[in-house]
Amino acid sequence: MNDKERAELENLALQKVAEVSSAIDAARHVDEVICALHSLAALIFSVDSSLVSGAVDQRFKDQILSAKCATDSERGSFRNNFYYGSAFPTMARLLLFEVAPNWLTQFPKSVRSQIYDQFFLEGPSIGVLEELIPILNKKGSDKDPVHDKICSSVERLLVLCYLKKEGIRQMVIEFDLVEKQKGVAVKKDDKNSVSRVAQLLASIPDKIRPQASSKLSSFSFFKEATIQLIAGAEEKSMQLPSVCDTIEKDSPQNYAIFFVGETFSRIIRRGSTDIVVSEMVPRIYDLVKSLLLSYSNASLPSVMESTPKFWFWLYLVETMRDQYSIERLAEGILRQLASRAVTDTEAYWILWLLFNRSYNHTGTIRAMFVDKFILWKVFPVSCLRWILQYSIFEVAPTMEGHVKWQKPPHFVDTLQHLVTIWSKREFVQSSSVEQQAYLTAAVGLCLEKMSKQELETAKDVLSLILQGVSCRLESPIDLVRKMASAIALTFSKAVDPKNPLYLDDNHSDVVDWEFEVLTQKKVIITTSSRKQFINKPKTPLQEKSRENLGDKEAQKSILIEEISDKGVEEDEKDHDSDSSSDSSLEPYDLSDDDSDLNKTFTQLADIVAALRKPDDPDGVERALDAVEKLVRASPDELHHNSSDIVRALVHVRCADVAAEGEEESSEEKRHKALVSLLVTCPFESLDVVTKLLYSSSVDISQRILIIDVMTEAALELSETKIITKEQQRKGNLITSTSQPWFRPGDRGPVGAGPWREVSGPGTSMLQNWSHQYERELPSRPGQRKLGKTRKWSAANSKDLQQEWSKNRFPMYAAAFMLPAMQGFDKKRHGVDLLNRDFVVLGKLIYMLGVCMKCIAMHPEASALAPALLDMIRSRDVSHHPEAYVRRSVLFAASCILVALHPSYVASALIEGNQDISTGLEWIRIYSLHVAESDPDTECASMAMNCLQLHSEIALETSRALESADRMKAQSRTLPSKLDNIIIPFANMN
Amino acid sequence: MASARPPPDPVAVLRGHRAAVMDVSFHPSRSLLFSGASDGELRVWDTVRNRTIFSTWAHIGAAGVYSVATNAALGNRVISQGRDGSCKCWEIEEAGLSRKPLFTIRTNSYHFCKVSLTKTPKSVQTDGGDSTEVVNIMALPGEDPSQVELWDLTAVKRVMSLPQSSNSNLAGQTSNQRGMCMAIQAFYTSETQVLNLLSGYEDGSMLWWDFRRPEAPVSSVKFHSEAVLSVAIDNICNGGISGGADNKIFMFSLDQQKSICTVRKEIELERPGIAGAAIRPDNKIAASAGWDHRLRVYNYRKGNALALLKYHSGSSNAVTFSDDCRQMASCSEDTTVALWELYPPKDRI
Repeated sequence: MNDKERAELENLALQKVAEVSSAIDAARHVDEVICALHSLAALIFSVDSSLVSGAVDQRFKDQILSAKCATDSERGSFRNNFYYGSAFPTMARLLLFEVAPNWLTQFPKSVRSQIYDQFFLEGPSIGVLEELIPILNKKGSDKDPVHDKICSSVERLLVLCYLKKEGIRQMVIEFDLVEKQKGVAVKKDDKNSVSRVAQLLASIPDKIRPQASSKLSSFSFFKEATIQLIAGAEEKSMQLPSVCDTIEKDSPQNYAIFFVGETFSRIIRRGSTDIVVSEMVPRIYDLVKSLLLSYSNASLPSVMESTPKFWFWLYLVETMRDQYSIERLAEGILRQLASRAVTDTEAYWILWLLFNRSYNHTGTIRAMFVDKFILWKVFPVSCLRWILQYSIFEVAPTMEGHVKWQKPPHFVDTLQHLVTIWSKREFVQSSSVEQQAYLTAAVGLCLEKMSKQELETAKDVLSLILQGVSCRLESPIDLVRKMASAIALTFSKAVDPKNPLYLDDNHSDVVDWEFEVLTQKKVIITTSSRKQFINKPKTPLQEKSRENLGDKEAQKSILIEEISDKGVEEDEKDHDSDSSSDSSLEPYDLSDDDSDLNKTFTQLADIVAALRKPDDPDGVERALDAVEKLVRASPDELHHNSSDIVRALVHVRCADVAAEGEEESSEEKRHKALVSLLVTCPFESLDVVTKLLYSSSVDISQRILIIDVMTEAALELSETKIITKEQQRKGNLITSTSQPWFRPGDRGPVGAGPWREVSGPGTSMLQNWSHQYERELPSRPGQRKLGKTRKWSAANSKDLQQEWSKNRFPMYAAAFMLPAMQGFDKKRHGVDLLNRDFVVLGKLIYMLGVCMKCIAMHPEASALAPALLDMIRSRDVSHHPEAYVRRSVLFAASCILVALHPSYVASALIEGNQDISTGLEWIRIYSLHVAESDPDTECASMAMNCLQLHSEIALETSRALESADRMKAQSRTLPSKLDNIIIPFANMN
Repeated sequence: MASARPPPDPVAVLRGHRAAVMDVSFHPSRSLLFSGASDGELRVWDTVRNRTIFSTWAHIGAAGVYSVATNAALGNRVISQGRDGSCKCWEIEEAGLSRKPLFTIRTNSYHFCKVSLTKTPKSVQTDGGDSTEVVNIMALPGEDPSQVELWDLTAVKRVMSLPQSSNSNLAGQTSNQRGMCMAIQAFYTSETQVLNLLSGYEDGSMLWWDFRRPEAPVSSVKFHSEAVLSVAIDNICNGGISGGADNKIFMFSLDQQKSICTVRKEIELERPGIAGAAIRPDNKIAASAGWDHRLRVYNYRKGNALALLKYHSGSSNAVTFSDDCRQMASCSEDTTVALWELYPPKDRI
């Protein structure tokens, strides 16, 4: 066929289209349109004329039936010219813009499919796509019925062509046909057009109208598209030349794969990685699995490269140009594999199959695995193993050990790179726990592969590991220390397998690299558990009482013994006249233990003296044993001695003194003793303790001890009080308590009867405002009183509640908190809370928070809160690089929120007290900031908690303000600044 | 037996001493108790009201009062022994003790042995008035702590020293082997009413002396493996009990005809150190005061243990019984004196 013939045929086609067009323009009845279309359709494809004619009027029937039907060969050449020339685009426009809006609704269904849809179905998928999609792009107003009809028609055609008829698969195959019909196809010979088609295909779900068929929605369309693309590509790869190395990357032979890759990357760009991956993985998995059954590791690469079935997969990633989508694809595949229990070998080969070609050639792919997937992402540990196995070890996992394994050249460099980052203090401080656990696992797994000689030659690794371990061991967060000990153990095993180094007490030989955070399910522990801990009341000590019953029984048995013994007694020779009563010498209980022998200290002064003699460890230990009991007895001289004892206790070296393995118990004794001192004579002891806290004569452990002891003492002093208060507060907020507030409480001696309301003597309305209650009380032994009922009334029930308060802490709160808050930010010799001793700082803030909590709802809370707020607001504290400190700040902030009485907040607002209002606002902003951007998950969840508390207090404050407003309206008008003050969080209500 | 009674607590605890109480002694007839502490204080207690009725600094000096002794023969007097090298005899008056001691004996001895007054067998005691005529002898180690000196309290002069210094060559040799005298008990034999004496030594040996034959001990035994710390004789002077620095208590009997001392009962303890021992005048029970803070009570006749009294929180120094057998007193380093009532004798009808 020469060019001239072709041009003639093309002209003929165009001419035919023009005829049809003019016929349609002139048509007044649908049947005329059908006739016109049929005349053209009959030339291009076989039409069931009888079917069409059945649907039209008699006068057109003959015209249709008499229409000239082309032979198959004529049809073939005409069709080629029709579709690959300019005729089809013209015809398509005619069909879509003229027929679809005006006539198509009147077409019978069968006719529509025969002479309308068929024009598109018969056409080349790519060309049809190029005609259809731009129409969707055209902007028409939503209410334009013509445009609506056009679009719905296009959408219907899309479903028909590409989903029902597997047009997408067809497209993949057609890209190869391009080569064969080079002369005909003009514009599909460059890669840009391929990607343009891919772009069109992937954009379908974006362009459809909302009311379009759900099959075109992104989920189902992409799923279907992926299935067809893979099927097409697999089919296609079978037709590729048998030696795969001959395929050049840019050759048109590869266009089909290139098209699939392009489409995939566009689908992935649109956020549907999961859909692609979930279709890909099962196929690859099955392929690899079947291969693994019959081939060994060594032969696998060559087998894969020589089997056409695998070619598509081998080239897919290589042909993808979009780095981002490759990364998402790899990530998706890894996660998908992790969720299906895939063996290490299978996973390795899947990765190899997909990424090997580009991994060896392309630096970015290598960087993606070695850098991004290890340093920036967090995968489950199993994925990490595969990533390491594939990208760093570069060998398939085997069962036979690693004897013959030749380390790839990059191995040590990569390890060094990882360890360098791992060992940095900034990394420990600023990255999330998951990230840390992940990198730790990566380093650990690499270290397991190292031998002693290799570690010695790479000398940087050695020192960096030491550095990383030591800076982690200092961390107050348990998990971080656990990571350090895991690495230390692995390292020591690599150096000397027989001599593992355990830094932990509860160690195991096998390191769990998951660290409880790298599993797929994550459990976030909220701070509520900590709160519970604080509120937990202590169980009262049970008193022992001696049993009288035992005594009686013993006496009885003596009598019996006396009688039975008499006979024996008389046989004995006695010098003494009344010796017959010898049998009354009944032995007492002779059991003995030496528990009392150690308690030799009875004087506080002795204890102080003993504690100051480090050369007499026994004495120090016994003193530690005795001191708490003595202090609790609270003798008169305690006030004079307490400061000496405190000082001696803080300075005593328990670890040196205690016997091997008993260090902890003696530490505990010291701890308890100090707590008891702080509780029994707070002012004297606090004076010493707070001075010692910032003194350069104590070390960090002693500072921590001091703070811990203060925390516990505060809790003990406050004892049960917080709970009752808290219950009251909660009750006001959400539900009313079961008992009316004006009713007297149930407290009282055992056996007291229930409260009964009594009517007052004169039951007039005026007196009745005070409810009166009475109840039966058991009389005390030896009590003689005329009356036997006690009366409470509403007037004094509130006062009584105050008297019942057991919280002794508020009066000491200032002495606890204020000196401790002074000078925390000063750097002196051996004292550097803000930087080196951040653990102390964290503990200190925690202690202050606990103190705050202990004075919750007391007036002292309002007095001390501004000072504490001041401290935690300072930038050095609130934005401390260590998460531990930030956690404490959040804890203290929530304690302040809990402790402040809403009415105080309200009055502070009315009075214009800036300290409180700005402080509370700061808490809100700070918590928001932390919740949004803190790398530490614990911090974030605590911040959420804090926000919740803040909203609670804001609500209550606004209530208090409302009532204050009412008061103000009733009484004289106060010169208030209320209008100018923004209530924190008020806009949220 | 179903379940043994728990050991009794003291009926009274006398507090007031500011240092370890070294010795206690009941007044032979009145309800008074004397106690001496290591800071030199001598106290007189009323055992009915359990109050201190008098206190004096009997022996000034770091060592303080080491021993307090009374007995019926001495009457209304009390002997205090200090580690300042002197013994003082005090008159008991209505309001306490005489301001100044009746006499002071310079013994110049600085040892660890408590003074012993002579024990008179009950039969002799009850005989009548002439018992006061019996020379009242006090025994204690002398300047040479291996020697026992005997002092006549009526004449306030030294009577004798055992072993006699005349043959000190021989005795010195043997006494050097024995070491210091650590415990003494002087007594009159029940039949012959001759002054006899038991003395325990550092090496654990015990010598039995007869006043009539001061050259050499009548008998020599060695029960203990370490120093003998306390020796007590029963009221008929036919036997006794001894405790030492080892973990054993021995009950022994004295055959006065044959001059043989034999072990009657050997009691082994969990913890060593018996600082004091006493036998109740009715010979029913014996008590020991241990370094392990405990007092142990035994059936004196059978030798079985009766009670283990845990009250003191410091090493117990001495234990003693009142003459009416109703009370027992113990004293300890914890500065307290405890009064006990154990197995009270039946009142005679």
